[in-house]
Amino acid sequence: MENVMDERNRSARRRQIVIRTLQYLLLTVIALILCFPFLLMVLQSVMPESQFQAGQIFPTAFTGLGYVKLFTENNYLTYFLNTLVIVVFNVIAMPLASSFCAYSFARLQWKGKELVFACVLSTLMIPGVVTQIPLFLMFSSWGWTNTPWPLTVPTLFGGGAINIFLFRQFMRGIPMELEEAAKMDGANVFRRWFSITLPLCVPILLFVAVGAFGSSWGDYFQPLFYYTDPEKYTLAVAVYKVTVLDGVAENSVVMAAGVFMSILPALIFFFLQRKLIDGIMVGAVKG
Amino acid sequence: MEAREELGAAATQTDQPEGRGGKFRLTPRRKRKLIGWLTGVVFALPVILGVLIFSYYPALQALASSFMKDGEFEWFFHYETIFVYDPDTWTVFGNTLLYALVSVPFGLVLGYFLALAANFKIKGISVYRILFYLPVVIPGVASGLLFAHMMARLDSNGVFNMMLHAIGLGELSFFEEASTSMLSLLFMSVWTAGGSMIIWLSAFKNIPSTLYEAAKLDGANAWDCLIHITIPMSTPLIFYNLVTGVIGALQCTTPLVVVGDRFGTAGGGAGNAIYFVSVKILNEFGYTYYEYASALSIVLFAIVGVFTLILFKTSRWVFYGEEK
Repeated sequence: MENVMDERNRSARRRQIVIRTLQYLLLTVIALILCFPFLLMVLQSVMPESQFQAGQIFPTAFTGLGYVKLFTENNYLTYFLNTLVIVVFNVIAMPLASSFCAYSFARLQWKGKELVFACVLSTLMIPGVVTQIPLFLMFSSWGWTNTPWPLTVPTLFGGGAINIFLFRQFMRGIPMELEEAAKMDGANVFRRWFSITLPLCVPILLFVAVGAFGSSWGDYFQPLFYYTDPEKYTLAVAVYKVTVLDGVAENSVVMAAGVFMSILPALIFFFLQRKLIDGIMVGAVKG
Repeated sequence: MEAREELGAAATQTDQPEGRGGKFRLTPRRKRKLIGWLTGVVFALPVILGVLIFSYYPALQALASSFMKDGEFEWFFHYETIFVYDPDTWTVFGNTLLYALVSVPFGLVLGYFLALAANFKIKGISVYRILFYLPVVIPGVASGLLFAHMMARLDSNGVFNMMLHAIGLGELSFFEEASTSMLSLLFMSVWTAGGSMIIWLSAFKNIPSTLYEAAKLDGANAWDCLIHITIPMSTPLIFYNLVTGVIGALQCTTPLVVVGDRFGTAGGGAGNAIYFVSVKILNEFGYTYYEYASALSIVLFAIVGVFTLILFKTSRWVFYGEEK
């Protein structure tokens, strides 16, 4: 009898091991497929041009020439700084602005609140292209072309309807008691927003901030409208114009530009992934 | 209820300051209410202004100019051009609708299978989740040029074709030919399935495990669990992502313009097979047909509106759980 049980246990354990191995195998294959383009981009960015011409997929020799040319023959440092100004502004302004307005919808009682909130949400339905052209004309008439203003100033006005929505949902889940206690202690409404509610919104703050980073870092569409002066280009526009439209750059330079564009988002994701995935989940579930 | 009425009175009061000395007196209670209302409005003021200046005003302007020809009202002139004369119309709207209706469910299904794998209860699974999601964080311009590069012809060293060649298979035309362009675009979206994977993972996380345990006791297999537990319990998520996904796909531009510019004229791809409405609008604007571009954008707006409406009207099958 004991022997039979032993045999059973052993075969169960063996089956377990086989399943585990198959699971790891499957996961690894999927990961390899999904990361292949990114890997290839990194590898080809250090591949000598001759090897690319010869039709090699993976490099057997390495060169940093692509990156050197990126910064010497092209103006990528300037583009990077241009982008940085916009990105830093939006990363700070977007979470602050949207949490500020969301606080009104989540916590303050005022007549007309629901109607205004519905109006704010209704803007999500308006496709970007509808407003893009009139906005361009408006900003041009204000003399805002070739300045960062069209890409930064609108952020101050609410920081995006979807972000307000997310903040509002999140704030509603925070116990009211905390705020009431702060109110008793004489904290005014600004303090209650900034010192009580905001610190409790960290997951969603982070999520919105990274979203702000992603959208202003990768956006080539709007800058393409507003920047005509090559000196003012953002990184995304430069990559698009120089490498895609002109199409004269060497392969390693194109790939180096791609890596340069991707490395920061990838690093941010790596370091914040635990919290970010939580934030994404919050956003997804609350929908 | 009465308090609300009073608040309303206080609200209108702010519009007519001359009434202050008259029959309306600012009692301390009313003053408190007024301050409360003003606080709320002040906090919401940025977004109220923002919505008016950066959304409603430009949208109305687009609407107005769509009815104009060279600054004069000519009502449906541009709309007539769109629906009767412009040969691009059916191409761009057809392409856009096809893409939206195929790519969004495709992405959700793919993301589901990815989430199943990413939900294995084994060591190091979070590392795999990161790797699965990594392609999603790559900016559109970078992934656009990367895929354009990888999907090039064999003689321009397209990696996919080189790999096919290495295992003795024929060459794929990808974006070079009209017939394969749309499929190539869908193929590209395989790499962004990590986005919907996260959505599914959070759905799985929110389903009480007791449901599965109970089902298992009743002898349910994995398929039964999927059909009778996972999908019904995830309907709010599926619904939300279907709405936003379709609306997003209808307005899609980023990777397309990159890909389209490389392989076709004016961002339409080979044979205009991936010519999308948004790209067409921007082209028209580029040619300074501003009013025509506005009319096109209004048509797109109408289509987005119809989809939103359909999806909300059919949302009765959505299970939202016990309402709190």
